[in-house]
Amino acid sequence: MATYPEDEEVLKRLSEKDKSALYTIYDKYSGALYGVIIRMCRDEGKAEDLLQETFVKIWQKIDTYDSSKGKFYTWAYRIAKNTTLNALRKPKQLIQTEDLSVYKDKVQTEITPDFAQLTGAIKKLEPHHQEAISLVYFRGYTHREAYEEMGVPLGTFKSYVRQALSLLRESYKKELIVLWFYMGILI
Amino acid sequence: MMERKKILDEGLLEKYLLDELSESDRHLVENAIKNDTELKKKFLELEEDFEKMAFENAINPPPIVKDRLKSRLEEPKVKRLWSRPFVAAASIGAIFLLSSIWMYIKWQETRTEFESLQKQTTVLQERLDTLEENYVLTNTRLQTIDGKNTIPLLMKGNELSPDSRAIAYVNHKTKMVVVNAEGLTKLPEDKTYQMWSDVDGEMIDMGVLETSEELITLKYIDKAESLNITIEPAGGNDHPTVENLISYVTF
Repeated sequence: MATYPEDEEVLKRLSEKDKSALYTIYDKYSGALYGVIIRMCRDEGKAEDLLQETFVKIWQKIDTYDSSKGKFYTWAYRIAKNTTLNALRKPKQLIQTEDLSVYKDKVQTEITPDFAQLTGAIKKLEPHHQEAISLVYFRGYTHREAYEEMGVPLGTFKSYVRQALSLLRESYKKELIVLWFYMGILI
Repeated sequence: MMERKKILDEGLLEKYLLDELSESDRHLVENAIKNDTELKKKFLELEEDFEKMAFENAINPPPIVKDRLKSRLEEPKVKRLWSRPFVAAASIGAIFLLSSIWMYIKWQETRTEFESLQKQTTVLQERLDTLEENYVLTNTRLQTIDGKNTIPLLMKGNELSPDSRAIAYVNHKTKMVVVNAEGLTKLPEDKTYQMWSDVDGEMIDMGVLETSEELITLKYIDKAESLNITIEPAGGNDHPTVENLISYVTF
């Protein structure tokens, strides 16, 4: 599986336990991962700790990363997501043992801080498409939790996700074409 | 092709990316991606789209997070402290310490038990000595009052002390007099019973009778014709108070 060419050398150094490689990776990916973590836990202090924990795990588990199975960012995203979900589940277990889902009882009308706002291509989608992607990608919901949260059948929810992804693809393709166009002019 | 259709129709590619799949489904998708270039291309596009979206929505964390990460990773001293040899040495040390404590406690318990047994032995020895003394005394008295040469004499109280009874055991061969004075009526604290021997009309002191004792050994007086009991001031008298004579018996 392809990785960014510039990542290959850094990841090689990282697998050789070069700390400076981890800090390079941190500089590149910490913003994207922090954006996911903070939207999931909605607590800046906790999000900072979880981001640190994510990079400690990346450092410890880099040997298990297999570039043939996916991009580095996808692997790092899964670590960040699972670390955050585990941290969010912990306090709940003290008082509630039967239902371990994180968001099942969450109230739809809760106050959303500014950092929960989305930008970029996703912002141009229809609200229901935005919400579907946001729930599964930025909020850590499973598909099963997310369709209940949106109050639509599972099949409908899956269609929302597929349509949203298709629209995102179109949007990024257009951006690429525009980029090539400008680059052509400059050259 | 069948797998590709299933994976695409059921949205398994998205779920795989989001780490939502079960173990078996994950293997299914991984194998399919490995062997199906079309699917591989689709998954790469999906990864790129999600990654772009993540970067568009990136939020820069405060610089302190990186500082904390650095200080956490650069704490080799703490790590070295818990290295394998250290843990092994610490474990052996802990086992040695615990076994030493256990042995010390056992030793202390044994010592306490030994001291306790020593005390018990001393107490038992003392009791044995007392019993031996008592046995010798009792045996001597028994021989005195039960021997074939012993004459038991019952001394009844007169009108001054009608309820009094005493028994005198006299052995002329061994020249011993033992009296059981328990049957004498109790006297006030300033008074006592005293026994006298009558020798040619002269009363000779044999000793004071304590009513609290079972058998009292008194002085044997040669050529005594009778035994007499009088009431005297506490501690005894040099001469008998004849008007206080409560009992007598002649040989």
